[in-house]
Amino acid sequence: MAASILDRYFALDDDGRARGLLRVLDEDGAPVAGAEAWLASVDRALARRLYEDMLRIRVTDARMMALQRQGRIGFYGEALGQEAAIVGAAAASQPQDWIVPALREAGVGLCRGMSLDSYLAQIYGNAADPTKGRQLPCHPCDQPHHYVVMSSCVSTQIPHAVGIAMAMRLAGKGDEVAFGFMGDGGTSSGEFHVAMNFAGVSRAPCVLICQNNQWAISTPGSAQTAAETIALKAIGYGLPAVRADGNDVFASYLAVKHAADLARAGGGASFVELLTYRVSAHSSSDDPSRYRDEGVTEIWRGRRDPLRRLRTWLDGRGWLAAGEHDALAARLEAEVRDAIARQEAVGMPALATIFDDVYEEPTWLQREQLAELEAWPRVRAPHAH
Amino acid sequence: MAFSFYMPDIGEGVVEGEIVAWKVKEGDTVALDQPIVEVMTDKATVELPSPRAGTIAKINYHDGQICPVGQVLVVIEEAGGASKAAAPAAAAPATHVSTQLAAGLPATATPSSTRGGMTATAFQGKVEVVDLTAGRARVLATPATRRLARQLGIELGRVPATGKHGRVTSADVRGFGAGGTSSSTALATTTSYAPMAIAAGGDEERIPLRGIRKRIADNMSRSVHTAAHFTYVEEVDMTDLVAVRERAKGRAADRGVKLTYLPFIVKAIVSGLKKWPALNASLDEATQEIVRKRYYHVGIAAQGPQGLAVSVVRDADRRSIFDLAREIERLGDAVRTGTATRDELTGSTFTISSLGKLGGVLATPIINFPEVGIVGVHEMKQKPAVVDGQIVARWLMNLSISLDHRLVDGWDGAMFLQDVKALLEDPTTMFMEMV
Repeated sequence: MAASILDRYFALDDDGRARGLLRVLDEDGAPVAGAEAWLASVDRALARRLYEDMLRIRVTDARMMALQRQGRIGFYGEALGQEAAIVGAAAASQPQDWIVPALREAGVGLCRGMSLDSYLAQIYGNAADPTKGRQLPCHPCDQPHHYVVMSSCVSTQIPHAVGIAMAMRLAGKGDEVAFGFMGDGGTSSGEFHVAMNFAGVSRAPCVLICQNNQWAISTPGSAQTAAETIALKAIGYGLPAVRADGNDVFASYLAVKHAADLARAGGGASFVELLTYRVSAHSSSDDPSRYRDEGVTEIWRGRRDPLRRLRTWLDGRGWLAAGEHDALAARLEAEVRDAIARQEAVGMPALATIFDDVYEEPTWLQREQLAELEAWPRVRAPHAH
Repeated sequence: MAFSFYMPDIGEGVVEGEIVAWKVKEGDTVALDQPIVEVMTDKATVELPSPRAGTIAKINYHDGQICPVGQVLVVIEEAGGASKAAAPAAAAPATHVSTQLAAGLPATATPSSTRGGMTATAFQGKVEVVDLTAGRARVLATPATRRLARQLGIELGRVPATGKHGRVTSADVRGFGAGGTSSSTALATTTSYAPMAIAAGGDEERIPLRGIRKRIADNMSRSVHTAAHFTYVEEVDMTDLVAVRERAKGRAADRGVKLTYLPFIVKAIVSGLKKWPALNASLDEATQEIVRKRYYHVGIAAQGPQGLAVSVVRDADRRSIFDLAREIERLGDAVRTGTATRDELTGSTFTISSLGKLGGVLATPIINFPEVGIVGVHEMKQKPAVVDGQIVARWLMNLSISLDHRLVDGWDGAMFLQDVKALLEDPTTMFMEMV
């Protein structure tokens, strides 16, 4: 019997893993040679759950983009085409772990239990928003599920992830792993170097995950690095690297799980590259047709679509018939629609809250400014919701 | 129930969008989230989905028009009519705040004498005044100045302000505390005039100054009010170049290129700019430095469908005549069809204004600020000329150059144009200089 694909991949040396690509399902949803045994161990409930989480992200993103175009929310960045990498990584995390996201990991938060209502409240910046409307939309945070608020500044979060991991080890919390995410663009920054170096030297329990979607806004991967793969960069820092097909949810899960298990077992930090493609625009303010060949995008939108791949496999096992799929999609659509209705009904945060959280006690200057602000005529644009 | 769909800010901080194409017309039924219109902003061209299901009652901005953010783009009569109506557009009470905001233009710096006014940059278009409390006038001052005023027991609102945007400075507070009415040391650096109102009279039409027209107006007045323009005109004998072009036309056609005189003129001008670098420059007013550019991006000013447009031939010094011809033609098509990108319309270092057959005899072109020179190309026609003591018919053409005398002296400008003239009159010399 052929050796399992997993055994073969993880038997490779660092260089082989960083240049290779772990894959379980091929683009058409068929098991690759050597993956059958592992796939046979996957239970129906888990596989269905992974698909549902991926579809929830897709349905939510599509609705949010429409709301942005209607002027109902200010900004949005969707994760179209990257759902498998996001859900695979989330599935490999445990509740006690910490998620330090880059910009396209809100779905990780949703998978871990962040409610749609909380997510939408942040997008609307309304009174229910945990961050009181102070962040750009699409920058959620969720303390109960250890989902740290993201910053729009590229890669500043990677050292935070390593620092959190170092702190947890000092605190003796041996079973908590920090997941630090980044995009391909983030790997060209100084913070990437700092974080990778400290991760390697400190052997802190963290997993640094690059969702390589091949576009940093308008900069293609070819202009981003001269390295053959991003995973190869890890070798110089003494970090084990794993590289997986980010459009294959099982491969993404296995790659991140392997790294997280290593960290949890005291084996230190490692690096994971999940190779995917940004099918959408960078954000609602971006128009990729101005700088890239959208003919290529269509391949990723079509045959390489991660949802199509998993759905085909599920269908082949009789685990997700067309009728069941439609019912699932309708349920998720309704969940999102209802959450939108609830959050649009919530008012804006009180004006006085803009002075909160600066000092424990407001200073005379803040009190004076607040009084002046409240005395000032208030106007609002009629199109503001 | 009628739902007003206000033009959203679909980028981060865009102020207006151009309607590319409506996908529905008045009277059409639309479903929720059905794409209804394609809109182009500075950042992206996107489809807007309908926020309501119903019937298109009124389209306020049509294809090609510019809709400012915050204006009612379309009114949708909702199916069923159960939803609550948006605030009626006419409900805004007329207060000084709403009037100023309703002007829809970014506010200028608030003069110190009217510190009570509010700048309008945050909102565009008509607003609804929710609550108008007769509070004291807002005073602009930094925390340090506020602290100083507090320490000296001075009410900030009584201190005449001399700072930027009507800000009360610490010096103002100290001066006021010392008994003076104002410690003014800062002088106004610009003279501003009250806006010229044109009283209604007779049969007139009023067209809002906005979009491209507004940008042209702003850029032109800035150029004229900043650059010290002078214009110099020279006549060029194009007869030899006419012959050269005639011979090269066939070869160009084989390559699918339409060969005009413009690529030759670009070539001659780039050659002149290399020799006279003062003309391929800008003044950095912030640092008071003259920036001499060693790249040659030549702007071609021409009439586009929406008004004047300058398309930019990048790195004109590194292109062959055929290459220039192809690029000029491509850019011209892009401008005509409205597909030119922002990069293709910005970044020129020197501009040519070409009016072809409408070129006239001479002009005083306005510099494409912050460049320092612009050449106007006039109509080329056969005229009597004196050659070797004989009157003969020659192809003559005028070039008018306007220069910014702050950076370019008459000598450099004249020498530049003489060099351009020499190259055009004897095209073989032009080829000597080619890379």
